[in-house]
This record gives sequence, C-alpha cells and structure tokens, in this order.
Amino acid sequence: MNTILSGEHIVKSFGDGAERRNVLDGVSVEIRKGEFVSIMGPSGSGKSTLLYALSGMDRVDGGRILFEGRDLSGLRDDDLADLRRRRMGFVFQQPTLLGNLDLLDNIILPAVRDERRGLGRHVEKARDLMRRTGIEGLERRSVSQVSGGQLQRAGICRALLRDPAVLFGDEPTGALNSASAREILDILSEVNAAGTAVLLVTHDAAVAARAGRVLFLRDGRIDRELELGPPDGQGLEERTGRVSRTMRELGI
Amino acid sequence: MYARIIRNDIRRSRLASLATVLFVMVSALLVSLAGALGAELSAALETLMERAATPHLLQMHSGPIDLERLESFAAGSSELEGFQVLEFLNVEGAAFEFGDRTLAGSVQDNGLSIQGRDFDFLLDLDGNVANPREGELYVPVFYFKDGTARAGDRVRILGREFRVAGFVRDSQMNSALSSSKRFLVSPEDYATLRDRGSVEHLIEFRLRDPGALGNLEAAYVAAGLESNGPRVGFPLFRMMNALSDGLLIVVLLFVGLLVTFVSLLCVRFALLAKIEQDYREIGAMKAVGLRVSDIRRAYLAKYAVLAVPGALFGWALSFAFRGPLLANLRLFMGEGGASRLAPALGLAGALLVGLLVLGYVRGVLGRFRKISAAEALRFGAPRQAARRPGRLRLAAGLPLGANAALGFLDVLARIPLYGTMLAVLVASSFIAVVPRNLHTTVASPSFSSYLGIGACDLRADVQAVGDIPGRASEIASALAADPEVRKTVVLTARAFTVRGKDGSESSLKVELGDHAVFPVAYAEGRAPGAPDEIALSVLSAEDLGTRVGDRLAAAVDGEWRDLRVAGLYSDVTNGGKTAKAAFSGGEAPVLWAVVQAGLADPSRSREKAAAYAAAFPYAKVSSLQEYVAQTFGPTIRAVGSASRISLGVALVLAALITALFVRMLVARDRVSIAALRALGFRNSDLTRQYLARSALVAGIGVLAGSLLANTLGESLVGALISLFGAASFEFAADPLSAYILIPLAVALAALAATAAGAAGAGRIGIAQTIRE
Repeated sequence: MNTILSGEHIVKSFGDGAERRNVLDGVSVEIRKGEFVSIMGPSGSGKSTLLYALSGMDRVDGGRILFEGRDLSGLRDDDLADLRRRRMGFVFQQPTLLGNLDLLDNIILPAVRDERRGLGRHVEKARDLMRRTGIEGLERRSVSQVSGGQLQRAGICRALLRDPAVLFGDEPTGALNSASAREILDILSEVNAAGTAVLLVTHDAAVAARAGRVLFLRDGRIDRELELGPPDGQGLEERTGRVSRTMRELGI
Repeated sequence: MYARIIRNDIRRSRLASLATVLFVMVSALLVSLAGALGAELSAALETLMERAATPHLLQMHSGPIDLERLESFAAGSSELEGFQVLEFLNVEGAAFEFGDRTLAGSVQDNGLSIQGRDFDFLLDLDGNVANPREGELYVPVFYFKDGTARAGDRVRILGREFRVAGFVRDSQMNSALSSSKRFLVSPEDYATLRDRGSVEHLIEFRLRDPGALGNLEAAYVAAGLESNGPRVGFPLFRMMNALSDGLLIVVLLFVGLLVTFVSLLCVRFALLAKIEQDYREIGAMKAVGLRVSDIRRAYLAKYAVLAVPGALFGWALSFAFRGPLLANLRLFMGEGGASRLAPALGLAGALLVGLLVLGYVRGVLGRFRKISAAEALRFGAPRQAARRPGRLRLAAGLPLGANAALGFLDVLARIPLYGTMLAVLVASSFIAVVPRNLHTTVASPSFSSYLGIGACDLRADVQAVGDIPGRASEIASALAADPEVRKTVVLTARAFTVRGKDGSESSLKVELGDHAVFPVAYAEGRAPGAPDEIALSVLSAEDLGTRVGDRLAAAVDGEWRDLRVAGLYSDVTNGGKTAKAAFSGGEAPVLWAVVQAGLADPSRSREKAAAYAAAFPYAKVSSLQEYVAQTFGPTIRAVGSASRISLGVALVLAALITALFVRMLVARDRVSIAALRALGFRNSDLTRQYLARSALVAGIGVLAGSLLANTLGESLVGALISLFGAASFEFAADPLSAYILIPLAVALAALAATAAGAAGAGRIGIAQTIRE
C-alpha cells in the first residue's frame, strides 16, 4: 500500500439556501508516499479548499479522506490537531509566524507542546534546518527584522521540524520576488527528494512544473491530470512549457 | 445618516457596547446614590436639628447646681436666644425591664427625661414634639432599631409600669456614638421616680447666631460655672448624627469614582480597537474632504447614544436602591423634605458621569488629526512592532509547559496592551480591599483607640456614686485576684485649672493613672510617663493653643505645676475635651473612674463583663468588644454593607472587563490563532495560553492592588477618618481576607472570564482566516 493520502468523492459547499454551491463537487485524489503533486486551476476552482480539506483543517460535507489509512471525518478536533502537529507540515502564502517570538522559537513551535524536557533535540534540528535553508545566524531575530524570503524559509523550517509525512503548501512563493521564489522551490524539491510527499497549490506554471504530477481543477472537479515524470530537476523549462500548454488548452 | 451607522456599529460590537452602557450605568448609579443620599442626609439632619431646636451648647453636670448663678449668666449674655436646665435621671440598665429582657448589658447611659421646655425637643416618628401622658413612655429610636421595644409594649422602669406610646428621635443623643439615651416620660412620672436614680443636669443654651459658639463657651468657662461633666457643642452633635450615613456616602462616592475611572478605561479600549479597525475608512473620509470634526462627530454620536441612556438608567435604578439605603437615615432623622432636591442632585451626578465619558471620548478622538489619509489608505493601521521579550525564550526550556510559556511571552511582548487590563484589575482589587479593610478596622477593638478609648478587653466605669476612688479600687482588687485577668489599671478623672498660652485660665478634666498599660493611639507624641508630663486631646490642645513639647501650667493642690505636653490624641468621649497624665491628683475631687483590664483570653470578655456587672451593680461594666459593637454598631453595619457592595462591584468589573479584553485579543490575534491551530495546537491549548496571560496579569494586578489598598488606601481612608476627628489612622486589616481571599476572588473572576472569553478562539476557522 503505497498511498499516503487519498480523497474519495469529496464534496464541500459554501453559502446558505439558494446561494449554496459546491466548491468541491465529488473530487477524488490519491497522493503516494514521497510524491510531489501540484494543484492548479482558475480562481474559485476550489484548489485551496481541496488542500485544506485534505489536511483536515476544514471539514468536508461529503466523501471521505484517508490519511495513512485513517478516516479524517471520524476524528475529533483534538485528534486532528495531534495528527497535524505530528505528521503534517504547512507552508502558507503569508508566513504566519508569531510576532512575539524570535525565528528559532517560531520554528520549534510544533514541538513545544509535546516536549517539555527533550526540547534540546528539536532546537538542534531547527538550527540544522536553518543552516540548510540559508538563514543561519537569524535565530534571535524578530519577525519584523527579516525579509519576506527569510520569513518563508523559517516557515519551511517550522513545517519540516517534525519530519512530516506530507508537506502542504498554499502558494508558498506567491508573495516573493522571483529570485527568492526559485530558492524556496529548490528547497522544497530537496525536501521531496529526501522522501517527504509535497502537495502544492499554485497558479504559476514554473512552480507547478517542479511536481511529478499536476492536477487541474475546474468548477470543483478534476478537469485533467498531467504526468510530468519524476521531478529530478532536469528539463525544468520543458516541463514548464508542458504545464503552460495544458493551461492554455483548458483556458486557465 | 448617523442613526443607521450607529445602529449597525452597535450591532456589530454588542458586547463592548453593552459593557460601556453597563459601566456608565453602574458609575451613574453609585454617584447619583451618593448625591441623593448626601442631599437627603443634609436635609434630614437640618430638619431634625431645626425642629428639635438642638442646643448650641450643652454642659452636662452632676452634683450640686446653682441655678440662680446660671440664670444671671444667661440674662447677662445678649447673644443668647434661649437657656434652660433639663434633668436626666440616670437609671442603671438592669432597672429597665422589657418583658424578660433588661438593659443590663447596654453600654449606654440610659435615663429618664421630660420634654424640653423651650427647645431641645424629643420628636416622635412623625416629627412632632412628643408629649407623653402619665403611664406613657417614649423610647429612643435606637432601641426600636435594635428590636428591644415595639409600640404598645409594657415596660417596667424602677418597678413602675409604662406603656410604650411611641419612639423619639433625640437630636443630641440619637446616634449610637453618643453614650447616653433619653427615655421620655410625663412630668408626673418623672417626679415620682426622681429620687430613685442619680440626677444629671443638662445645662443648655441656644444662640441667636450659632457662629458665636466659641465666645459663649469661653465666657462660660471664664465665669467658672458648673462643669462636672462633658461639654458638647452643636458641631459635635451634627457630626455624631452624620457619621454612620456619612461614611456610607463617602464609600459609595469612592467606589463610584473608581468605577467611572474603569468606564473610561473600557471606553478607551473599545475606541482604540475601533479606530484601528476603521483606519482605512477614516483615511478615506479625510481623503474625500470630510473635516476631522465631522468624522469625530460620527464617533461621538455613538458614545452619546450609549452614555446618556446608561447614565439615565443608572439614575433611574438609584431609586430602587435608595429605599433600603435610606431606611436607617429615615428612621433616625425622618424625612427632610429633600425628596425633590435628592433626585435632582442624583440626576446631576449621573449626567456628570455621562458627560465625563463623552469628554474623554472627545479627547481620545483627537488622534484622528494625526492619521495621514494617504498612509491610511495604502497601508491601513500602523502595525505596532512587537517588542522582543528580553531573556525569555521557548528554546531555553519550558519549566511550566509550552502553553504557559507562550502566554507569558505574549504578555511580555505587548506590555502596553495588557496595561489596560492590569489597571482594571488593580482598580478592582483596590475597590474590593479598601472598604473591606475599613470595615475590619472599624469593627476591631483597636479602632476605639483612635477615638480616645484604650484598647483593653474589659472596662468598668464608676460615675455619679459616692466614694468613687474607693469603689474603683474595690473592683480593681477583685480583677487583680482573678486568674483570668492579665493586667489592670485604674484611671481617675479630676478637674484642674490650667493656664493657656495667653494666660487665660480654664478647667480641664484630666484622667490620671498609668496610660502606657492600655494606650490610646497618639496622633502626635506619646503617652505621658513622667509626673511632669501631660497628654491632651486634639480639641483640648486647640482650646489651649498648645502643641507637643509646649509647657502648660496646672494648679494641683493650690500650687502651679509646670507640665510638658507629651502627646496629642483624638477623643470622642466626654465631649472630646480631655487630658491624660501620670501624676497623683492630690485633693481635687474625682469626677469619674475607669478600671481597665486585659484578659488572657479576650474572647471571654462578654462573659466576664456580665459576671462583674452582676457583682458590682454600681459600675457600668462592659467588654470593649461589646462596647464597640454597641457604640459603633450602626457605623460598622453601614460600612459593612458598603464593603459588600464594593466587593460585588469589583468582581463584576474584573470579570466583565477581562471577558471583553480577551474577546478583543482573540479578534486581534485571529491569524496567529489560526496558525497555531494549523500547527496542531488543540483548542484547550489555546484556552490555556489565554489563561496563562490572564494569570500573569491578574497575579500582578491583584498583588499591586492589595498593596496599594493597604498603603495608599490607608492614607486615603485616614484622611477621611480624620475629618471625623480621629487622627493617626492605621488599617487593622484581616490579613487572610485583605491579602489572600479577596485578591484570590478577583483573580478567579478574571480567570473565569478569560476561559469564557477565550472559547471563541476554537471557533476561528483555520482555512478562511489564513487565506484572508
């Protein structure tokens, strides 16, 4: 059994009465261990909604979601929280770091609840991640003292602290300049190469091209799936071209 | 246009609006109650003392009296409007029989009297001059209040039966603080019983101009007229009548002003949050050319809509509370015809609170001027850069767990923000602790030492009997032989002629004995120890124009002795003009004697007092506890209910403001909350973090509040108490309630409110919030 995360016939609706509409209208997806998958689609197609549903941050109205074999709809809020903390990592468009903590404290945040005594191990891990992502030496800086790119790197360190099975990203490079964006994507590719599954929402073909597989959403359903082959870092331009062509075909 | 904006705005921030209305209402309620009660008290007091024609000067005197000499003194004084001598027949408490009860345990000097001839009338409960027929008795209203007697009861006094025809208000001796109580009987009954007790004379004067009291008193003393007993002036009667209800009014006003202060904090708080929220809109309004005053008017209008009805509600509500709070005042002083003035004054107080709030809002809105339209439109409200907490870091270890650490870190990072909540909790603890301390102080036996009564457990007063010194030493020997008695002392009072600074001579009553055994509280200096030392009551010192360290000449056994003033103390006993010294009295006649005793087990003082009272019927034996309970009872009860009201107000205040504050924090921190939830923090973790923040702020707040209450509060109350004649005041606080129970209750109220307010954190949707 190679699947780590799957959604079957997911339905999620917003609004009331006559205004009610299905943002996800029976979507089924499957993410394998160590896979890198991108989700694309026009605004309002339900990309982010799908991401939040699959990570258990949002409850769905129909269908079911299995994470490592467990049905998320059957779990209580606390169990979902525990699962997110121990097995998932998140990188958002805005870094969402806490303003009253320095970068190091922000990065070890997912560990502090469970580790009163053994925190030292996580502090070491955090320093190592900071070195690998190029923000060494910024441990004691506050959130307002570093650049957007550095904040996003800290956000990635925070997401990776507990070796998640899946790393979820919602437009992680959306707020960055192109040089910073490229560096962040290189880091995500490295993470994936080391065995972590990555699920990324983006509207940028160059970002989506980093994945092995791209899902195109439209009106709450998967319109097309594009297999790009193993993301080995080779032929990025060609892969980006294929993604862009598919986008044009679908009118995205 | 405003109406709709205001309606929507209030609907959107229901809780904050409700709190604003509520606080304005409570402050208006308290301030208008204080105002109305003040008006009622002053009017009722005025009416009572006018109808009763209270004497401007009263000289009590026991012993032989030369009426002719007094009459010629009165006839020779052009300032006098009236002069009369009334009799007060001192009857021992055991001779008053109300069914199977007697007044044996009473610390009051109870006696019979007939109605005043020209003035000093005892009034019935309808405010009319009471005129008992033969066999009828009018009982002091004091004994109606404590349930001793009811109209129609049969009462036996000195074996003669009376029917209680009604109750009387005595403008001189109404108050429990006044030590005598006059029962009114018909002249015929009085004549029959006159030989059965000891007669004391009330030598009374009414002045055309009450301001001439000082001259009259000086002339009386200079004439060397009868003065074996306390001399009391009009102002002291007034003060004694006003004290109990006056204290209640002061506490109400005090709490009302503090609540007003908290209302202002609350308004500031809601307003700053609102300005932050509306920053762009304000910028837009400025950009399209609206004047600052126009924008300000829109916000001000909203608060006017909240504050004015709040103040009016508070005023209206004050009518409901007025009844119970006025009950005591009405009983003792009657209706003063202030019913029209009181609501007006109450309304003025309430509107003043409302206007104060609006004025404050106007001031806070002044910051609109500083908002740059361009910046507001582009960037919204300026983000306050979070301050880095110094050495505290999560990575350094979590001795109290992650949630506590995160909570504390947040407080340290945003100290100005939490300052408001801190101020409220400091104020709440202050409001709760100060009246409570005042209550325990007034109720404690040591309080009497501020008023000139030594802090012993047991005292026996020997007065108006033959051979006072012999009888006093008889009691003292019995006490000295009692194994339960730790120490005793006999104080004998004698009158001496003293010479003031200006050379004028006057008579001064001096209590002689060892004053270090059961000391009173000295406002200045200390107890007299050496034979050439004397301590004066504050009023005596004022009369004589002396201060601590000054010399005073006194005639002892016919020769002048040079005494040094060693200390000053406050005194409400014996007309307030007394002195204490340690020299032996020589031949001067003894006016009264007091035997004081300290018990090994002070809780036995009531039983011991009863036993000694039975053994020595000629003495008035009382336990100090009992004496304080009876003398200050009404005052203690008034302060007690005020302190309970304050505690309630403080707890509601702490809880409500904290709940509001936490809700505001949750709204402000929603992105961080969503991030923490996304990272896998449970809802209970978030609640714990908020509890940790509140615990830190509440801990510091109640600690600071109770410390302030016990220092600043003490000085404040001391200043207040000194208005009533007691000096050098210190709280006799109950440490358990002042430092532990009440602060704990305030802190728990804040924590409970935090738990309720933080519940909203778990309902913040992660997906929607993070994607905003």
